[in-house]
Amino acid sequence: MPSLFRRKRLMTVLIGFIILVALIGFSMRDRSELSVPEKFLQDSVGWVQTVFHSPVQLVDNAYQNIQDMLNVYEQNEVLKTRLDEYKGLIQENQQVENDNQELRDTLDKTESMRDYTPIQGTVIARSSDRWFEQMTINKGEEHGVEKDMAVITSEGMVGKIESAGAFHSNVQLLSGFDESNKISSWVVREDEDNAFGLIEGYDSESGRLLLEGISLDEELEEGDVVMSSGMGGVFPSDLRIGTVEEVENDRSGLTKTAYVEPFADLFDISHVMVVDRDMQTVSEEELEEGDDQ
Amino acid sequence: MIRFSISVFMVIFLVLQGMAMSLLPAKIVYSELLVTPHWVLCLIMIIAIFFDKDDMYHSVWYGLLFGLLIDVVYTGVLGVYMVTYAMTAYVIHGMQKWFHANFIASVLLAVFGVAIADMLLYVIYSFVQVTAMDWGDYTTLRLLPTVLANAVFFVLLYPLFKNRVEQWSDRWQSA
Repeated sequence: MPSLFRRKRLMTVLIGFIILVALIGFSMRDRSELSVPEKFLQDSVGWVQTVFHSPVQLVDNAYQNIQDMLNVYEQNEVLKTRLDEYKGLIQENQQVENDNQELRDTLDKTESMRDYTPIQGTVIARSSDRWFEQMTINKGEEHGVEKDMAVITSEGMVGKIESAGAFHSNVQLLSGFDESNKISSWVVREDEDNAFGLIEGYDSESGRLLLEGISLDEELEEGDVVMSSGMGGVFPSDLRIGTVEEVENDRSGLTKTAYVEPFADLFDISHVMVVDRDMQTVSEEELEEGDDQ
Repeated sequence: MIRFSISVFMVIFLVLQGMAMSLLPAKIVYSELLVTPHWVLCLIMIIAIFFDKDDMYHSVWYGLLFGLLIDVVYTGVLGVYMVTYAMTAYVIHGMQKWFHANFIASVLLAVFGVAIADMLLYVIYSFVQVTAMDWGDYTTLRLLPTVLANAVFFVLLYPLFKNRVEQWSDRWQSA
């Protein structure tokens, strides 16, 4: 053992460097699935994390409950005033839904990109390195989770599945998105058609998403809601993403860029839903097969 | 048996490191400052200082093993933490001979170790474009807070582990 490091120090450093480069190259390329040992390690650590997480979760929940109870009276007052407004809305909504259903029936179109099956999950850990905006949830392939599925909270979208193990998976948060994970989205405006754009990145200084590729003649206003369009092929449509805060022409001057404030709090997340789109997603393999024929 | 207990502690720290990020109040953890817990590294350095005698390199092997585990579980880019932690353990082990193993010397070693480990991470991650910070931002936003936070953690860890690890070391050598 002693000779290994002392006499062959140079060799060790060189071999170490080669291994480092090889490993980085292996893991940074665009992989569709994790290797088996990685999955095994991720799941094993996941179980330990779950064991440590559950008592803390219990205390956390109890604390939350007590806080909620203290606020009950005020919330009740506010909710009562809101209730009447909602009654009207519900009826209107039902009417619209019926209309929609009838129209769909006449068109023979039953599937919608809006439909999805949620998979409930709990966040058990977050990457300790802040340069990696990732977190681990306690649902994996056994529960139906697959790579690239959207992840949402009750407030809005928070990210997508980066890699799925058998029982645990890693979520890439919106704040870690770059040009390799775009979200095709609509800006929903009153009295006007939806404007199309792509979420292409995150501005870490202001904590806002960048919605790019909006055509120049679209007029966006502050407060317009941004939703996923479902055109990217993986996410369902109508997932809430955020509100437009600021619009400016992009560097080339051919399109506009909007800064979007996400609905969801990307830091304080404990319960999430993984969104499994009901409509068939077109995978790359199927496309290739289609080309062969 | 000793190796097993050390590994168990390592795994516990590894898990706590990730839980700290999701459970501590968001205002503390997610300010502008990118504080990164290197708790596993703190324990590896204690092993390097108090467990390893001159010709023992256990800390380096723990660095390789648990660095790789951090890579798999928390970042997804393999090999970076593995090489960084192993090299830091080797350097700390080499420097430990020049100091008496007392409290102040070990804290200084730990501060130095965390600093070089984090800078190595920064250099490697810059090369593979995980981060695009410049040195000035990196030093003020990440390096200094990280070194401070981990120095505090090391000071807490020291009284809990120093004697235990020295006992393990004696038992290991007599066995």
